[in-house]
Amino acid sequence: MSTFALLLSQVADALSQSALLFFLGVGLTLIFGLMRIVNFAHGALYMLGAFVGYSIASWSGSYWLALAGAPLVVGLFGVAFEYSILRRLYRRDAHAFLMVTFGLALVVGEAVRLTWGSDALKVPPPPMLSGVVFLLDQPFPVYRLFLAATGIVVAVAIWQFLERSRLGLLIRATSQNAEMASALGVDIKLVRSGVFGIGCGLAALGGVLAAPLVTASNGMAATVIIDAFVIVIIGGMGSFVGSLIGALLIGFVQVFGNYYAPDFALAFMYLVMLAVLVVRPGGLLGKES
Amino acid sequence: MKGVTRLVWIVIAAGLVLAPLGLPPFAMTLLTEAVILGLFAMSLDLMFGYTRLVSFGHAAAYGFGAYASGWLLLHTGMPLLFAVFAAALLTGVLAIGVGWMCTLATGVSFSMLTLALAQLLYAISFKWTSVTGGSDGLAGIPRTIGPFGFAALSSKTGFYYLALACLVGGFLVCLALVRSPFGAVLRGIRENEAKTTALGYNTRLYKIAVVAISYGLGGLAGALYAPFAGFANTELLFWLLSGQVLIMVIVGGSGTLVGPVLGAAFFMLMEHQLSAWTEAWALYFGLIFIAFVLFAPEGLWGLATRLRRPARPGP
Repeated sequence: MSTFALLLSQVADALSQSALLFFLGVGLTLIFGLMRIVNFAHGALYMLGAFVGYSIASWSGSYWLALAGAPLVVGLFGVAFEYSILRRLYRRDAHAFLMVTFGLALVVGEAVRLTWGSDALKVPPPPMLSGVVFLLDQPFPVYRLFLAATGIVVAVAIWQFLERSRLGLLIRATSQNAEMASALGVDIKLVRSGVFGIGCGLAALGGVLAAPLVTASNGMAATVIIDAFVIVIIGGMGSFVGSLIGALLIGFVQVFGNYYAPDFALAFMYLVMLAVLVVRPGGLLGKES
Repeated sequence: MKGVTRLVWIVIAAGLVLAPLGLPPFAMTLLTEAVILGLFAMSLDLMFGYTRLVSFGHAAAYGFGAYASGWLLLHTGMPLLFAVFAAALLTGVLAIGVGWMCTLATGVSFSMLTLALAQLLYAISFKWTSVTGGSDGLAGIPRTIGPFGFAALSSKTGFYYLALACLVGGFLVCLALVRSPFGAVLRGIRENEAKTTALGYNTRLYKIAVVAISYGLGGLAGALYAPFAGFANTELLFWLLSGQVLIMVIVGGSGTLVGPVLGAAFFMLMEHQLSAWTEAWALYFGLIFIAFVLFAPEGLWGLATRLRRPARPGP
C-alpha cells in the first residue's frame, strides 16, 4: 500500500468526520447568532435524532425515511420548545437560557433512556451504502464517502438558503439587529421559532447520520456537545462559515491525531481551541465580544 | 424582622454544628458532601455573582485541587491538613496564569477560554497515567494523620468539622472581600467595566485576582473532596461538573454567597431524594430546573428573602 493511498483515505475519513461535526456545529451557531442562546440541549437533541431515526428505520424498513423523518420530528419538537418556554425568556439574562437548556438536556436524555432503554441500538446503513470502495487500492467504507458528500451538499444548501432566500435574509437581518429588523416589519418571533427548529433538526440529522457508524447510545450526548462547542468557538459564535472551518479543522485534527499520536489527540483539540482564542478571542470569524 | 432573621441563623448554625450528634452515618456523608459542594459553588459566586465573570470551567479548580491533594496524600505521606491547604494554594497560584490567559477575552469568549483550559486538564488527566492514574483515577487516598495530632480530623465526624470550618472560613473571607474596597471595584466591573476603567482602575488586574481567589477556594473544595471520597477521577474535571456548579449558583441565587451554598445543598438533596424515589430522576430534575427559571428567577435565596419581607402593596 502506498503512502499516498493511505493519506487519501485519511483525508476522506477526516472529511466524513468533519461533515458529522458540521451538522452539530452549524445548528448551534445559527441559534447562537440569532438568539444569543448557548443551547446545552444540542447534544441531547442529536441523540434524540439518532433514536427517532432508529425507530423510523426499524418500523418502516427504510433508512431514507428515517433520514428525512428524524430531523423533521426533532425540528418540530424544537419549535414547540421555543414557542412554549424560550419565548418567555428573551427579556431575561443569558443565565435563564443556560438553565433551561441544561434542564432540557436532562429531560431529553432521560426520556430517551426510558423510551428506548439503555442498550446501544444498531442502525444498519441501506444496502447500497454498505460495503467498501477502493481508493487507490485502499479499502474505504462507502458510508463514510456518503457522509462526506452529504456534508458538502448540506453546507452548500444552507449557504444558499442564508444568502439567497427571503427567509435567509430575514435570519441574517435579525441576527444583526433584532430590534431594527422588528421595526422594519420582520416577525422576529416567527424567525426565532423557525431557526431554533432548524438548528435542532440539523442536530438530529447529524444524529441519524452518525447512528450507523457509532450505534445509537445514551452516552452519545455528553461527548458530542463539547465537540460542537469547540467547533463553534473556534469558528466564531454565530458565524456560518466559521462553523464550517471549525468542523474541518477539528475533523482533521481528530482523525490525524488519532492515527499519528493517539495519546495526544484529545489534548490537541483543546490546544487548537486555546491557541485560536488567545490570538482571536472571538473565534476565527467571530466578532470580538 | 431583624430578630427573626438572627434567630434563623443561630438555629441553622447550631444545627450544622450539632448535626453529627443526631444524624445517622449515611446522612452525615451526604451533609459533608453538601458542605464541600457548597464551598465550591460559593467560590464560583465570587466570579459569577460579583464580577460577572462566567467561568465555564470551574471544574478545573475542583478537579485540580482533588488530584493535587490526592497525589500529595498518596505519594508524599503529607498529613491531611497540610495536603489540603497545599493543594488549594497550588490551585490558586496556578490560577493566576489561568486568569491572565482568560482575561485576554471578555463575555462569552472568557467563558469559552475557561472551558477550553478545563477540558485540556480533563484530556491530560486521562493520558498522564503515571501521575493521574488515567481513566481509573487515584484510588485509596488516605487521610494521613500528621505529627502534631489532629488525629480526630481523619474520622468521619472530624472530617465533617474540617469541611464545615473550611466553608465558614471561606465564607468569612469572601464576605470580607466583597465588603472591602476591592469588592466595590468587582461590582463596578460587573455593572460597567468601561466606566470602572475610566475611573482609573486596572480592571484586568482585579479580574486576575478574583479568578485566582475563586479558583483557590474551588481548589480547596476539591482538595477536601479527594480525601472525603477516597478517590479522585476524571469526572471531577469534566465540563458537566462545571455546568452543574453554575446551576447550583443560579438556583441558589447568585451574588449572595449564601445562596449558592443553599443551591448546592438543594442540588444534592434533590438528586439523592429523586434517585431514591424513581429511576427516572434526571427527568424530574430537569423539569425542576425549567420550572425554577420560569417561576423563581431570583433563586432560592431570593425566594427566602421574599418570604421574609412582606410584599410591597401594589400600585
